[in-house]
Amino acid sequence: MLDWLPENVSVFGEGVDHLFRLIYYISVAIFVLVNAIYIAFIIRYRRKRKGEKAYHYHGNNLLEFSWTALPFALFLFLAFYSDGIWEDIKYSEKTPNPDLVVEVMGQTYLWHFRYPGSDGIFGRRERGLISTTNPFGIDPEDPNGKDDVTTINSMNIPVNKTILVRLSSMDVIHSFFLPNMRVKQDAVPGQWVDIWFNSIKTGEYEIACAELCGSGHYLMRGVLNVQSQQEFDTWIDEQYTTARTALANAQETTNE
Amino acid sequence: MEAVLHNKDHGHAGADAHSESFIRKYIFSTDHKMIAKQFMVTAIIFLFIGGAFALFIRWQLAYPGEPIPVIGQMLPDTWVNDAGAVTAEWYTQLLTMHGSIMIFAVIIPLLVGTFGNFAIPLMIGADDMAFPFLNMVSFWLFPLAGVIMMAGFFMEGGMAAAGWTAYPPLSAIASYGQTLWIVSLFLIGFSSILGGVNYITTVLNMRAPGLKMFDLPMTVWAVFITAIIITIGTPVLASALAMLFMDNFLHTSFFQPENLIVPTRDMTRTAGGGQPLLWQHLFWFYSHPAVYIMILPGMGVVSDVISTFARKPLYGYRAMVFAIVAIAFLGIIVWGHHMFQSGMNPLLGTTFMVSTMVIAVPSAIKTFNWLGTMWRGKMEFTAPMLNAVAFVSMFVVGGLSGIFMASTPVDVFIHDTYFIVGHIHYVLFGGSLFAVFAGLHYWFPKMSGRMYSERLAKWHFWITFISFNGTFFPMHILGVGGMMRRIFDPTVYDFLKPFQPMNEFITINAMVLGFAQFLLVINFGYYWFYGRKAKRNPWRANSLEWQAPSPPPHGNFDRPLHVYRGPYEYSSPESVQDYLPQTTSPEELEEQRRHHERRLEQQNTAEPVN
Repeated sequence: MLDWLPENVSVFGEGVDHLFRLIYYISVAIFVLVNAIYIAFIIRYRRKRKGEKAYHYHGNNLLEFSWTALPFALFLFLAFYSDGIWEDIKYSEKTPNPDLVVEVMGQTYLWHFRYPGSDGIFGRRERGLISTTNPFGIDPEDPNGKDDVTTINSMNIPVNKTILVRLSSMDVIHSFFLPNMRVKQDAVPGQWVDIWFNSIKTGEYEIACAELCGSGHYLMRGVLNVQSQQEFDTWIDEQYTTARTALANAQETTNE
Repeated sequence: MEAVLHNKDHGHAGADAHSESFIRKYIFSTDHKMIAKQFMVTAIIFLFIGGAFALFIRWQLAYPGEPIPVIGQMLPDTWVNDAGAVTAEWYTQLLTMHGSIMIFAVIIPLLVGTFGNFAIPLMIGADDMAFPFLNMVSFWLFPLAGVIMMAGFFMEGGMAAAGWTAYPPLSAIASYGQTLWIVSLFLIGFSSILGGVNYITTVLNMRAPGLKMFDLPMTVWAVFITAIIITIGTPVLASALAMLFMDNFLHTSFFQPENLIVPTRDMTRTAGGGQPLLWQHLFWFYSHPAVYIMILPGMGVVSDVISTFARKPLYGYRAMVFAIVAIAFLGIIVWGHHMFQSGMNPLLGTTFMVSTMVIAVPSAIKTFNWLGTMWRGKMEFTAPMLNAVAFVSMFVVGGLSGIFMASTPVDVFIHDTYFIVGHIHYVLFGGSLFAVFAGLHYWFPKMSGRMYSERLAKWHFWITFISFNGTFFPMHILGVGGMMRRIFDPTVYDFLKPFQPMNEFITINAMVLGFAQFLLVINFGYYWFYGRKAKRNPWRANSLEWQAPSPPPHGNFDRPLHVYRGPYEYSSPESVQDYLPQTTSPEELEEQRRHHERRLEQQNTAEPVN
């Protein structure tokens, strides 16, 4: 059944899939065992004639104890085993130093992406400044923000680099879902949540919204381009140029 | 404390047949049996409405954008487009209403409303509930709430469309359909609390003489514990709903942060400063226990049915009771497992993962005890038994798939996918609804005084069982493939396109599953009036309800009861029969034995002549 999983191309995704497989095999084993006993009982212990008496027995404390203790031990093991991987994925103190920070803003039914400009610094943003034309609420007074690169529904990242996604939403709750990266994180308006991943393979992958955000929920599809460092540099340089030209044009207009 | 209220509140002690007006008897009745039947009929009507909604959803997922066959053109313009295909707006309403109706207007009323009302007084030997009038109010709030929920259809913007979980800000900025949904749930909450208080009081105060708490059948224990969860959890939901109502209708900001960009609504009146996650915490603080509200009574019914038809005492009775108590207690501290990916502090994810893993233990205990009950039993596979057996097997699947979600890293991937949809349906349909079927068939003779058709019931069971698995098992695979919940058209995504044949397969099964339920209605509808007359105790069961006439008259029992033992003394060596009712006194037992010995002696002396 696990062959149906989308291809995993992320570093911590290995851990997720490993745990997925482990729990799958344990579950299948328990399922087969319980149901084999069950079916055997159903076949064996049928009533053959009316009024036939069964075995009068109320239970056994040792058995009760063992089938309490064994699942308890198994489930606690699973919980603590899972927790190691969970901490690696989500705990902020375990997040590796990012090579690239991308801000992501959900809007019904779009994804906005923001990269720092050629200065490598994000401009200051403020929740109150968010509007349909300024999805991140970038402060127009802050010079650092003037060359920031923004894209819609398309995210470019370099391969084999730690990407930190800083996530929020303009309106309702969305969920940033990268099936191939094993990433899912809700985008909650009014709060920023960090999630990281590291893709080990170049290619084009899909971005989906996993939290109901309205009737166009299904349309909230984006594309994730995992590129070689070289391709990514070319792409981001183009974006810098576009941003600078737009900025220069805007200044000209204001000067006139 | 026992039987303090017994035979006191009612001026007319015990059974008597006095005539009542039609309205008093069938509409505003205070008789717990009539109220149970009212809950049953209303909930089954809602079952068909919710089921029809599910089929529209399935049609759209299997054949996106294609007109609904036969009835597509007849549906209103606000639901379908010109060609008669489901619109995205209606689709979101459908999934919201399907979930809300099935949970609040079908499963809870059937398990808690119907079985709680019908079984508790009869199984504890009382003549009615402690508060018959509250009981009536509790019922009448329910159809009222159902109608209010559906009334969104007549409002601008249609019915509620924020999912049954109604996460704000989406629900807070929604139109009037959502407001009605909130009001409706508030009323259903009232109904639940009135019912809950009633069940607790009845079980504690109105047990027949001699009936100790640890001699109660599992159904009574389960509904009793459920009632305690209801009275603890529902007020929290009510307060959350009150806040959401104010956010939605009065522009307050409990759940809405500053400066939400919503073009469809005047947001200048909303100050902001709220926290969307607060709703999720409050909602799941009720709604996770609600999952147990929807399964515990089923577990109780199934325990009784399996013990009766295996002719064997329930294995580990006390362990079963304590497992229910443990589930109820742990159920209150696991709500955060719905929020692993919500933006909640991941440290809390760890905490809730541990508590969630631990709650699997009592469920495992129950499963093993059901197996233990069947071990060396003499099982008879009547319709109630078949449904109960299916319950156990399906519950195992639902329980095991729950472990995947409990493990936080795996949940990162399967959260909000069809894996969850498959899981919840294995628990709520494979679990709760099969338990409902088991219970309805089991008590049908007592409710109606007649026997249902065993043949029709078995057809219903097998078709339901097979198409149920055909519908919901593949959903796990869709989830593994990453298919998100609540999407209108999976073919938008390249990675979901290979799953379209599976979506079609699911839809075909879902249609069979839906139409198979007419067999249940035909069986119950016809044989309720024209079936063979039922004996007092057609299943040769031990618990007290089988000592009353079928159907029990107003006041229930036609003779005073005294309880001597627990309800699971099947195949006891003390008795010459394979069952030993709770009310059989030691003297009667002795008499039976002497009678039996005399007959044996007569046979023995007669034999040599042959």
